[in-house]
Amino acid sequence: MPDIVEMHLKLLFDLDNLISDMEDESYKKIGFQIEEAASDALINKRNQLLRQLPRELGEIYEILKKRYRQAIAPVESEFCLGCFQKLPTQLAAQSQNILTCPNCGRILYWRPKN
Amino acid sequence: MNLASLLSKDRINLSLDAGKKDEVIKDLVYAIKKGAEAELIVSTLLKREELGSTGIGKGIAIPHCRSLAVEKLEIAVGRTKKPVNFNAIDKKPVSLLFLIIAPPQDPGNQYLITLGKVVQIAKEITKKNLIQKPETPEDFITMINDIEKGLAKRK
Repeated sequence: MPDIVEMHLKLLFDLDNLISDMEDESYKKIGFQIEEAASDALINKRNQLLRQLPRELGEIYEILKKRYRQAIAPVESEFCLGCFQKLPTQLAAQSQNILTCPNCGRILYWRPKN
Repeated sequence: MNLASLLSKDRINLSLDAGKKDEVIKDLVYAIKKGAEAELIVSTLLKREELGSTGIGKGIAIPHCRSLAVEKLEIAVGRTKKPVNFNAIDKKPVSLLFLIIAPPQDPGNQYLITLGKVVQIAKEITKKNLIQKPETPEDFITMINDIEKGLAKRK
């Protein structure tokens, strides 16, 4: 997957989490100010990022988001953190690419090793 | 949840040079992550700031977001040498910042609990006029610990 696509996908995911938090009652109670117009602009930005993804990837992302709320799951110690199933070794070995979990279907994300 | 236990000396910078909001945020993020991961976090944080400043007033800001780039809740603290315009709720410039980044998967809701706790502690810091008091990161952690003990006694 090209770097630019991966970058758009990751930012889209982070922005979706941001939008989800803004709508969370527990978050609202903390008391940070949110401007409604800016909130609409953020939704437009996420839609714009979605359109910049290859069509098939964008469609998969939206289906997974509807199904699980979070379309991407990080991988830790060869486990998908979406469904907590161990990934096949051969899949984990391909960690340079973004792949989907064979169990839950979420898009898998391997964080770069620091 | 104990905030002091989540703080680390090497992520507390009490003499930040940065003079602009985005520079301060970037400096704090780079205390946690580097490279493309850091840039992802900065982009998300700046988008969060566009929704409304996380400057909660009286010189304190709490920039925060969830990001795919972190594995666990991460906190960095910065105090700027000169107050920075943060478009805060009271329009006053900011000197003390708590940066909070959480992973997207957060089963215990530690993120929101921590955010709430930091807001509570920030209010104590301003009430007691403590922003400039700590001289070292160790002093800062001790101060947070003392505030937490004080808050616990009130319950």
